[in-house]
Amino acid sequence: MQLKSVISEISGLQFMVENLDLKSSVGKRFLLDTYIMQSANQINTELELVQKALHIINHKENSSLIDKLQTRLLHIRDINGSIRNVGNDIILDDIELFEIKSFAMIVQEIISLCYKYDQNIIDIPDLSGIVNILDPDKTNIPSFYIYDSYSESLSQLRRDIKKLKSEEFDDQEEKNRKLDTLLTKAEKLEFEVRVDLCKEIKRDHNNLEKALHNVAHLDIIISKALQADKYELCRPQISEEVTEYKALFNPEIKDNLKKQRRAYQPIDIKLNKSVCFITGANMAGKTVILKTIGLSQYLTQFGFFVPAKEASVTIVDKVMISIGDEQSEHNGLSSFASEMVKIDKMVQEAQKKSNVLILIDELARTTNPVEGRAIVNAVANILYENNIRSLITTHYSGLSNQCRKLRVKGLDKDIKAGEINRDNINNYIDYSLIEDEVGVTPHEALRIAQMLGINEQIISKAQQELIVVSDKVTDKGN
Amino acid sequence: MPFVKDIENYKSLSIVGLEKNTGKTECLNYVLSRLKDSHRQIALTSIGIDGENRDQVKQTHKPEIEVYEGMIYVTPELYYRKRKLVSEILDVSTQQTCLGRLVTARAKSSGKAMISGPANNKALKELIDNLHKNGVDTTIVDGALSRKSIGSPAVTDAMILATGAALSANIPQLVFKTQYIYNLINIDTVEKTLGDRLIDIDNGIWAITPDNLIVDLGITSVLMIERVKEKLFGYGTRFFVNGAVTDKLFEFLKNQKQIKKTEVIVRDFTKIFATPEVYYSYIKRGGKISVLQKTKLIAVCINPVSPDGYNLNSDELKQAMEEKLQLPVYDVKKI
Repeated sequence: MQLKSVISEISGLQFMVENLDLKSSVGKRFLLDTYIMQSANQINTELELVQKALHIINHKENSSLIDKLQTRLLHIRDINGSIRNVGNDIILDDIELFEIKSFAMIVQEIISLCYKYDQNIIDIPDLSGIVNILDPDKTNIPSFYIYDSYSESLSQLRRDIKKLKSEEFDDQEEKNRKLDTLLTKAEKLEFEVRVDLCKEIKRDHNNLEKALHNVAHLDIIISKALQADKYELCRPQISEEVTEYKALFNPEIKDNLKKQRRAYQPIDIKLNKSVCFITGANMAGKTVILKTIGLSQYLTQFGFFVPAKEASVTIVDKVMISIGDEQSEHNGLSSFASEMVKIDKMVQEAQKKSNVLILIDELARTTNPVEGRAIVNAVANILYENNIRSLITTHYSGLSNQCRKLRVKGLDKDIKAGEINRDNINNYIDYSLIEDEVGVTPHEALRIAQMLGINEQIISKAQQELIVVSDKVTDKGN
Repeated sequence: MPFVKDIENYKSLSIVGLEKNTGKTECLNYVLSRLKDSHRQIALTSIGIDGENRDQVKQTHKPEIEVYEGMIYVTPELYYRKRKLVSEILDVSTQQTCLGRLVTARAKSSGKAMISGPANNKALKELIDNLHKNGVDTTIVDGALSRKSIGSPAVTDAMILATGAALSANIPQLVFKTQYIYNLINIDTVEKTLGDRLIDIDNGIWAITPDNLIVDLGITSVLMIERVKEKLFGYGTRFFVNGAVTDKLFEFLKNQKQIKKTEVIVRDFTKIFATPEVYYSYIKRGGKISVLQKTKLIAVCINPVSPDGYNLNSDELKQAMEEKLQLPVYDVKKI
């Protein structure tokens, strides 16, 4: 699975990738082409590099190195096509040779910068051989043409052309004819020079390829480190059993709140290799928790730091997410049907006992509560039996007893009437999670609707309705 | 030709032909030949043609220009590969034009090359600024007056106009038509504070209220002007028209009672596609016009020979032109 294929699955991931301060287009391409990592070793190697770069950023004397490297990276072009042509023995034209030369010169600058600061993030192959080939006059300027010094006969021919051009001819036609002959000859000689140059460059083909790859990687590492610094992300520890976050936050939402001068309340959460329900009132941030956990899982396995104070993450083969807010009218299915298709795929993986992380937001919420609850418990039990690490958010009560339940604290402070409204309600919600033994979801929908200033009639009529229902229940009990 | 010395004082100069075969290429070649011994760094580029027009891409009738040793020139990859001179690549742009990326190169020998360049004003301006930053004193732009190109030569500081028998085979007519363009080039700029606010608007018709507010009238094209009459004067009598201005708008405005207070602001003179008769009658009725960008016309070149073989009297034409325009006029065949 490549980053570009999962990037749209969770909005937060798109946000993180778009917020990377990548300087080169080749860095962007490489990043989107990265495959999700499934070995702890691989992930740790990448995270180690980010840590190294972060260390440089936070080190006063060296921090200017990052600026300087980024300035160089800005000038890196994606010369993948030209490099491929070198490998395939295609003779490059002046423009391609120019690109290779300027690329090689920037690479040499990057290498010498790292040397000067005595800091090495990634090994980049030395391309001084290519610079020497393409800069025969040692001008050290990243410009290029088929220099006179490549071929004595070409140089002589160019002098001849110049001389001929300055000569006066009675017959202009004759001059043009002569000129044409010389120009054709010069073209042939230039071509021969190019053939030789390409042969010489080809010896360094592997280094060239590796340099492009590693320069792109350097760009990615630096931008990941800068992002970690900017958003105060932490390096996730790779864990065998438990996925656990301390002070987990959603960077995109935190960023938005910050713009409105509001604070984000981070949460702690621990996930075993089993099912966990999250319950809580409306507006309690259940969906955000789900998305942020999916996001952090992806970030870890693509070698990013994660939005938490501390994190240990267990590697999975696949993250499977069902979030209700993605409509799929396109395929002609109702929201319930398309949800069930998704759930079906998840259950199939579960029954294979695959190593997956399953995240389901408000399972079966679009159908009637009786059958809805039955579906929730059925899915939860299957996941439980197969030891699948999974999170399900729901409003239903009467949840399967064997599964763990977490509840968002929500609005449990004493609040005076009229104190809360649509604009400040978020400030009154306690977003932290508590273990919930009972499994009765809080009935706060009407209270919240009232605070949001929803039509009074809806509230009062709904309340009457509730009284009728509970009377009936009591009658039956008697 | 004394104006060549003048050219060195400008950061950018465009050479514009009023019609095909009015001798623009001769004029450009002449200017370049005179500048070849200049101590100042000269760069050469052109206004590219819109990518939509496929025929324009396939056609390679584009005349070759003699580029002299030491000059810098900017042209797309496709043309660069067809050059007939030795030149050193200094830069390759990241942006694509329909003929490939733009190559900036310094001529190591003199020789012919086909020149094209950025297709829009913003990119052209950026290119000129960028060249200037990298040591170029004067950038010469092979310009075009045409609806096909969004790029306008008016972004350059100075301009030379090439006109001739191809435009009209009758001296008074030719002088009249050339003078019209001359008048358009000399339209005054709008006050700078307002101009800076209008420059980045890229579509539609806007009103400027007496309090200097800029209001989008929601009219996409002047072609629809008659259907939205009542909308037009809702916010005052000053209008900024982003696209082309045609006879239709002037005809409409000059017959309204507000005409004496009416002002039309256009991006630059190349956006005026009205016939001289309608334009002058709009001005006579009291209508005003101004531009955001203005260029300085420094000379006029004439080509007395038309492509169908008609030959005007060069001296007569030159004299008539100079009298009307109060500018140096040169015959490209004689210079």
